[in-house]
Amino acid sequence: MKVPSIGTLSFGAVGLAALVLIAIGPPGSRVAPPPPAPSGPAPSSVAFGGFTLTSDAVDLPLDDQQYPDGPHADVINANCTSCHSASMALTQPALTADQWKATVTKMKEVYKAPVSEKDIPAIVDYLTALSAKQGSAAPAGKESGSQGAPDASGGTG
Amino acid sequence: MDKLDTWLAAQSSRRRFLGQAALGGAALAAGPALAQSLVDLHLPGGNAGRPMTSAFPGKGSMILQRMHPPLLETPMEVFDRDVFTPNDQFFVRWHWADIPTSIDVDTFRLTVRGHVNRPLSISLAQLLRLPRVEMAAVNQCSGNSRGLFQPRVPGAQWGNGAMGNAKWLGVRLRDILDFAGVKPGAVQVRFGALDQPVVAGAPDFEKALDIDHAHDGEVMIAFGMNGEQLPLLNGFPCRLIVPGWYSTYWVKMLNDIEVLPGPDDEYWMAKAYKIPATPGANVKPGAKDFPTVPINRMIPRSWVTSLGEGQAIAFDQTIPLGGIAMGGDCGVAKVDVSTDGGRTWYHTRLGPDHGKYSFRRWDTQVPLPARGNVRLMSRCWNTAGVAQPMAPIWNPGGFMRGNIETTNITAS
Ligand code: HEC
Repeated sequence: MKVPSIGTLSFGAVGLAALVLIAIGPPGSRVAPPPPAPSGPAPSSVAFGGFTLTSDAVDLPLDDQQYPDGPHADVINANCTSCHSASMALTQPALTADQWKATVTKMKEVYKAPVSEKDIPAIVDYLTALSAKQGSAAPAGKESGSQGAPDASGGTG
Repeated sequence: MDKLDTWLAAQSSRRRFLGQAALGGAALAAGPALAQSLVDLHLPGGNAGRPMTSAFPGKGSMILQRMHPPLLETPMEVFDRDVFTPNDQFFVRWHWADIPTSIDVDTFRLTVRGHVNRPLSISLAQLLRLPRVEMAAVNQCSGNSRGLFQPRVPGAQWGNGAMGNAKWLGVRLRDILDFAGVKPGAVQVRFGALDQPVVAGAPDFEKALDIDHAHDGEVMIAFGMNGEQLPLLNGFPCRLIVPGWYSTYWVKMLNDIEVLPGPDDEYWMAKAYKIPATPGANVKPGAKDFPTVPINRMIPRSWVTSLGEGQAIAFDQTIPLGGIAMGGDCGVAKVDVSTDGGRTWYHTRLGPDHGKYSFRRWDTQVPLPARGNVRLMSRCWNTAGVAQPMAPIWNPGGFMRGNIETTNITAS
């Protein structure tokens, strides 16, 4: 065993795994537990061996941020706000028109963004203008700023 | 401070264009808790200002990269306080916006299926009864520090804070696979989760590990993080822990384990998160058409955390300096530091060892060469003898940065 840094906690005996899991059975073989009560103050919890898991419910902040005004802002707002915040595009470094075209193509082909072919040039124009306004440090040219059109199929992280 | 103010003033014309939307709009959307202040991530070429936010459930003050779906970065000063990153400031990273906002611990099931003799549907009550293991491990995004790439590349524009270290409590994946009974001929294990794409036909986020890796006794399913249940945004009720490997494999809200008789050829393994199959994942800027492999093991990294970029201090003959290091896929052997841009190096004292996959604290007292600008650097060697290189790498995905980082301060 090449796992020196793992510490098995006190009650763990591997045999126990078999004991517990025997009771599990294949999916669907057990009657589903009743749905949680619709109201009630205390969220349900399960506990064992000194550890408790409690049902959780959260509200995530809503994002109604739009792309800022500019030529074709209406087109990008109609196409590029449904899956993720505009900040995904607005935080990018200055990119070339080719790089923006590759990104928009990736949205359409890989992530299935419902972008019609005729809207693509307007979106690319908008984004390229955005890059041009990002200041002299990184003009949207081939030599400085960003290079290497993204592989339209991969990335992220 | 001053530097940030000056920078912000210089950026104001740009922000008139991005402004209302990128920053003000965010504040509008989520009220005063958002955009409390701005942080400068010091990304080369600019566009480096990000609002701070406390608007996310279970989360304290975080750097807002994207609200929907959330990308939240940990501020660097958090790493100076403790080698363990508090749950409420642990970074957050989702791909698709259909994230369940409520999880019922009674009805949640983790299924095990595919190339196994005995498919399973495991409740949380059962998961809690399995033999437990606890391990400290760094969870680092494949694209951590992407914003520092030169030339810049598209993708989430992280600074260095898309990482965190926690004590993960859970069960060995091996125990679960053994009980399900992996059939001969199994090749990979694929992990699916509760989050879903928001449009039909788009690729669901799933990742896979080779069967031997999944079965190595280290990969675990964690329900505990630093002694508490996971924050929902970090994958409640359970997530995969793949020690020494990048975070893309650490599937959150894990609810499906599928043993495969062949390699996973879906998008997130076959196309996304691929690195050049070259030493150090390094290619010439702009290169295309090189062979690629799925990103995998992490590499050594280290940072100065006791002083921040641009900080002004009083000059002294020697100053205390501290920070954190990680070995990547093994432990930290040593960390050296320089105060003269890498000409002279000094040893540091390593803090307590929390296991080979954990952050390790380092501290020392170092001479300052002169008054004025000082370039601080730290360099980690891991226990396999791999040291951080001086020169940064480049690849189009912005993955696997690991070179020696520089912190610029002024001593006057
Ligand atoms: C169908 C959903 C969808 C739509 C609509 C969509 N995107 Fe995306 N986009 C994604 C996903 C998924 C990612 C990857 C997210 C991640 O890594 O967190 C992404 C990532 C990005 C990125 C980061 C760079 C990269 O290549 O990953 C940019 C920039 C971007 N989108 C811009 C746009 C623009 C511009 C539009 C409008 C044409 C758009 N998106 C519309 C789903 C979408």
